[in-house]
Order: sequence, then structure tokens, then C-alpha cells
Amino acid sequence: MKKVICSAVLLAASSGAFAEAPGGPGCGWGNMLFEGQNGPVHFLATTTNGTSGNKTFGMTSGTNGCSIDGKLTYGGKSMISSIMDRFSEDVAQGSGEALDAVAVIYNIAPEDRATFAAVTHENFKVIFPTAQVTAEDVISSLETVMKSDARLAKYVI
Amino acid sequence: MRKTIIKPQLLPFLFLRLNMRYLKNYFIPALTLFLTTTPCSYATSLETINQLQANAVANQLSQHPEWINLLHYEQTNWFNNDYVSQVDDARFFNAEDGKTNPTAELSETINAFFKTDITGDNHAQCKFVARLEWLKEKLPDLQTSLPEVTCKEYLEWRANIPDESVTMVFPAYHLNSPSSMFGHTLIRLDPPADRQGSEWLSIAVNFGANVTDGDNSLFYAFKGLSGGYPGYFIVTPYFKKIKEYNYREKRDIWEYPLNLTAEETRRMVTHLWELRDIQFDYYFFDENCSYRLLELLEVARPGIDLTNEFKLTAIPVDTVRSIEDAGLITAATYRPSQVTVLEYLLAKIPNKNHHLIEAIANDPELTRSSEFTDLPTIEQRQLVEISYKYLRYQQTGTVRDEAIATRSHELLGILNSYPAQQTAPTPTSNNQPEKGHYSKRLTIGYGEENKSNYAELGYKLSFHNLEDNEAGFLQGAQINLGNIQLRAYQDESIRLQQFDVVDIFSLTPRTRLFDPLSWRIYTGAERQYTAGKDRLVAHVTGGAGVAYQPINNNIIYSMLLARIERNSAFDNNITPALGASLGMLHHFGNSTARLELSGEEFDNHEYRHRGLYTQNFVISRNHSIKINATREEQRSIHFSEFGINYQYYFF
Repeated sequence: MKKVICSAVLLAASSGAFAEAPGGPGCGWGNMLFEGQNGPVHFLATTTNGTSGNKTFGMTSGTNGCSIDGKLTYGGKSMISSIMDRFSEDVAQGSGEALDAVAVIYNIAPEDRATFAAVTHENFKVIFPTAQVTAEDVISSLETVMKSDARLAKYVI
Repeated sequence: MRKTIIKPQLLPFLFLRLNMRYLKNYFIPALTLFLTTTPCSYATSLETINQLQANAVANQLSQHPEWINLLHYEQTNWFNNDYVSQVDDARFFNAEDGKTNPTAELSETINAFFKTDITGDNHAQCKFVARLEWLKEKLPDLQTSLPEVTCKEYLEWRANIPDESVTMVFPAYHLNSPSSMFGHTLIRLDPPADRQGSEWLSIAVNFGANVTDGDNSLFYAFKGLSGGYPGYFIVTPYFKKIKEYNYREKRDIWEYPLNLTAEETRRMVTHLWELRDIQFDYYFFDENCSYRLLELLEVARPGIDLTNEFKLTAIPVDTVRSIEDAGLITAATYRPSQVTVLEYLLAKIPNKNHHLIEAIANDPELTRSSEFTDLPTIEQRQLVEISYKYLRYQQTGTVRDEAIATRSHELLGILNSYPAQQTAPTPTSNNQPEKGHYSKRLTIGYGEENKSNYAELGYKLSFHNLEDNEAGFLQGAQINLGNIQLRAYQDESIRLQQFDVVDIFSLTPRTRLFDPLSWRIYTGAERQYTAGKDRLVAHVTGGAGVAYQPINNNIIYSMLLARIERNSAFDNNITPALGASLGMLHHFGNSTARLELSGEEFDNHEYRHRGLYTQNFVISRNHSIKINATREEQRSIHFSEFGINYQYYFF
């Protein structure tokens, strides 16, 4: 009878240590507003509903080079950079699904969502000061704005 | 007697700069994890494994529908239980002959679950989680005797995959995108309802071919038809799919929440993990995106049969119907594309302001002009919003343009100066694609051609003609595959009248903001009266032009066409021709009519000019009567044709 230590567990746990630090290029944190979606629509990929060489499987670490902030659900803030264009539009007009998504990323309770929408709407020019603002800047200003609001401060950790 | 082995792979970890941040973020959690992990248990005696395998055989578990579904077996011979799995990946099986032998696979799977020389995520217990759960249910003794394995990667993945409910997603067709011609389906995994408003963060499960960038050509599309591409399940955040379909491909999305319970949803997610990186052959027509999703649903809810009727073709909208027939769909919601939203906003803006849209998009400073500031606030806001969206539309699928980015930002700032909007008005639709007529068509008709009578029988594999019942479809979009018509004449001869391989007719009206091309391509064999005789000719015909919508439900179009024809009466084997068409399509509600003048001239100076009138009268969803009249003129002859057809659409 053999005894085996499951050392693979330790290996797997440590792999997180080598992931890029938050803000790394793989996360898209350096992306500017209106970064756009490069490249033409791939005819064959759409015909067969496939992807071009990227078999992603919803893994938050490893596949996109982002580390996970355990305190935020859904893979955390890295998602914000991906939806930043729509987020900026929603903040400007005061409502929208990207705004809701960001509220959920920050675990904002349904009763505080209206406040979140109103406060971000008022602070559009603070959160999105220029067209060259990066995702990292946006997240940082957003959290500053949230911290200065009595109802929203608790959601920024 | 516990022995710790430091693997060489761990050395880089030890050499990390042990600053406080790393210590706090990574080292401590890793250490804690290490200390709390129990070592794997001792190997169970061989007798236990043999006993479980014998029980499985005695209970015929390997023939159980759930086992068959989990391994994607398909019965190839109804008389002697021959199976073959549709998975083309050795890693998916534990037995050597697992692809074709459900019984051996089950025995070997039990065996693999007891292995103690493999640990962690590579263990069969971690790789085949759904099989394990099911076997535990069927063989209660399994639970107690299994060695303990920690599946860290799996658990981490599960923590990020919502598993409360399932939504079927159908990105509909878009006219000017041939690759979207049949639509597509994917599955969305949703979190509990208290995460309301977070559909963007739901997870999309998509089955597709893995293609490489060099493969972007029609030649490779044929490879896709014949199963030359490996297919995989792909799991991504849903907002990526919104970007892909609503934005880049200009397709509206229909979402159908399903009534799968949390337990059924979890069973599906568990099985999904087993399919990670696992290769299927991708076939465009049958074993495609939609077919594989039906299989997932069959795993989720044992006992439903969704795939059986799709052995030949699985057209995505038909699979939505099959899910509806199985009683899984609870509602339908509509997510309009970027273009649909723009057209909707444009319709709300008074005509007198239309010229301001592009002007403001090009120069946001114009919002300071009196022409703008004199407008009512509500009209001002509308103009800023549509100008912004129009700018963004222009940037879809291109690289970032600094000037456009600056103008976009400026417009958002102006939009922000108006009071906040609680809910943005969005276009709605009740034109649900699955409510449209069925995809296959049978026609039976009678007519007169050049003064001789005929009876006609037709079959079409799929999908939709310009004049067909418009409910559930887009006006101006015709996509047909595999249409065949036979005619029987009074002299008792039976002739192939027409065989269309592909027939696409795409009419997209130009508007203030958009100037798309309309186009047509069709190829196959058809009868042409040439040199005193009705001849079967092979041809490829295609062209492009423009379409406009002068009033609602009406499209006028004009195209330049080119044709190559193989006609036994012509000197050359293949003769080219140039042509043109001018037509009008009108939807009356329960009837659609088309009038077209067209003609072509061959390089041997033969020509054909014709006038066509056709009208389809809808009786009910899947029944209609179609009439047509043609007048054709050639250099030496002219003749007419009249016909009436009963059309029946079926699954």
C-alpha cells in the first residue's frame, strides 16, 4: 500500500503567484477609452461560430494573464477594461447595462444602484477626464468617487 | 509517515522576492492550502473495484441513456447496440476502445476513479466530474470507498461559473453577412436573480470550430462542411458575445430563459467541465453549434430527446423550436444590434434635423451654434446621442482613431450635461425567429410553359424566399440551400426543371446613416430555352447593387449581374454574360409580391430579357399559395409561363 502526497495542490496554488500583477498589459488595464475592436470579422469563424486559435474556457487566471482579486466577483475589475466604452456611455447618460454590470462587479446592493448611477453621472468628467484615459485610471477615479459618497464608500475595499 | 517532496517546479517559487505583498497575497494562502490538504487515501482493494464493476454490468449501466449522453455515444446500428462516440479525442475516454465500447469505458472509468498513482487535477475524479456524480448515484457503494482527491482547478473554475439557470441565446441573421445566414445558438449560464442586471457578466457557452487566421476563404468553408475542423466548447463572459454579435456582426440577439432547475443546470455545468479542450469534429450542417448544445440540455435533463430529429441538418432556429416543443422555454427577450438601435433612434428624430447628425459627429462644436441651441432640449439630447452612437458605429471593427476618440469623448461630455436618464428607450420586437415558418419546403404545382402544361413537384432543404411568410424573418433576405424542382409534361416526360445549390438574395435598404450593398448569388442547374429547345444548363450568377425603402414594407432594388453558363447550344463550353435587374418587393401583410425586370447578354450576343411577377399568399404559418408569371424575349423567340404552387413548410 502506497502513500502519496498530493503535491500538485501546492503547485496549482502557487501558480497564482506568477500571474501578472494587476495592471499588467495582459489584463487590458492600460487600454485607453475607445480602444476599439481590431481586425475584420473573420468569415470562417462566424460561419462555424468558432474562434481563431483561442480555446478559452472561462478560466479567470492563466488564460488572460490577469490575476483575480478575490474580493470582487466575476473575475473582478479586469472585466471593466473590456466594457469600458459602454460603461463611459452609460455613465454619461445615467443608466445602462454596462453600468449595472460594474455595479454588480462591486457587489453594490440593488437598493444602492440608483445612487451609483446618479453619483457616477455627476462625476462623468472626473472618471473620464479625457479620451486618453486608461482602464486603470478609470477604476482608480471611480473608486475615489465612490469612497467620497456615504452610501457607496462601503463597496470599495 | 508523511513525506514532503519538494518538486523542482517549486524552486522558482522559493526564489521569489519575498516582499510583504507577495507574502500576503500568495505565500500565506498557498501555505494554508498546503497544510489543510489531506493526503490522498490508500488504494482500495481490487475486490471492491471488481464488485462495483460487476454491479455496473448487472444493472446494465453502460446502456443507460444518461451514460450514453455523457459519453456522446450515438447508436450506429439499432439491432446490435453498436455505438460510436462523437468525441474525437482520446483524452475523453478511459478505456482503450472507449470510443466504441460503452461497457468497457464504464468499467475503466470506475477503475480510473480508484487510481492512487495520479493526483489532483489530472485524476479521473477531477476530469470526469459528471460521470463520477452519476455513478455515485447509481452505485452507492462507490461513494464510501473512493480515494479522496482535491480538484483545485475544477473548484476554482466552478467558483467563476454561474450555475443557477440557463438561457438559450440565438443571434439572429443579418442580411449582409452570409456567414450568419442560419443564425447561431449558444447557451448562457446565469447567476441567481439577486444579481439582477448582470447578464453582461453571465457566462456564454459556445460550440464552434477552431480555425486559424490563414483559413479565411471559401475553400476552407468547404472544409467546414465536410468536418475538417476540430470543434470545441468555448466559455467566455457574455458581454464578449454581445460585442461580437450586437456590434461587430450587426445581429439582433434573442434570449430564451429556460426552465432548467438549479440541479439540472449544475449537472450541465459539471459535464461542461468534462468537455474542456475536448475535440469534436465540426460539421456545418448537422453536428454544429446548435446540435452540441442540445446534447448539453439532454445531459441536464435526463429523459428529454432533442437531438434525434436533427440527424441530417441542425438549423439553429429549428433547434430553438425543438427546445420550445420540449417545454423548456419560458420567455423571449430581444437584444437589438447597434445598427437596429441607430435606425430606431433615427426614426425618432424629425427629418428637419437629420442633416445635423453627421455634422455634429464630425464637429461637436456645432452644438454651440444657434441652429442647435434653438432646438427643444429633448431634440438636442437625441441628436447628441445618435451622433455619438453613429461615431462609435463607424469605429466598430477598426483600430482606435485618435481624432474620433476625442470627438466621441467630447460628445459624451455634452450628453452628460443633460439630466440623467433613468432608462434608455430601446427598440423592441415581437418578430421571434422561432415563430416563423419551418425550414424545409415541399411544393406541388401546376402551370403552363410556352403553351404546354406541366405538373410540378419541389423540395427545398432550407430556408426562406423573399416572398415567403415574413413572420419571424427579415424583409429582403433570401437564403436557400438545396432546392429541387421536377416537372411532368403532357407527353409524360419528367424533367429536372431546376436545382439550386445555393441561392442568396440580400436586399438591405440604404438609409441616411447606412449605405450597404445589396447583392445576389445563386448557382445550380436550370432549364433555359435555347436554340429551339428547352435545355438544362449549369450556371453561376451573381451581382450587386442598391436597395431603397421608399415606404414601409416596400423595397426597390437594382443590380448589375454577371453570369457564366454551360449550355449545350452555345459554341463555347462556358459562356459568360453580363446583365442587370430592376425590381420591387412589397409586403402586404398576409401576402408578398415581387415584380422584376431583368436581362443578360452573352458574349456570343445571345440575350434574354424577362419580366417576372410573383406573389405568395399566406394561408397559415406553414401553408401558402404562390403564383408566378414570366414573359421572356430572346433574339428569335418570345414566350410566357404561368404557374400556381401550393407550398408546405415542415421541420
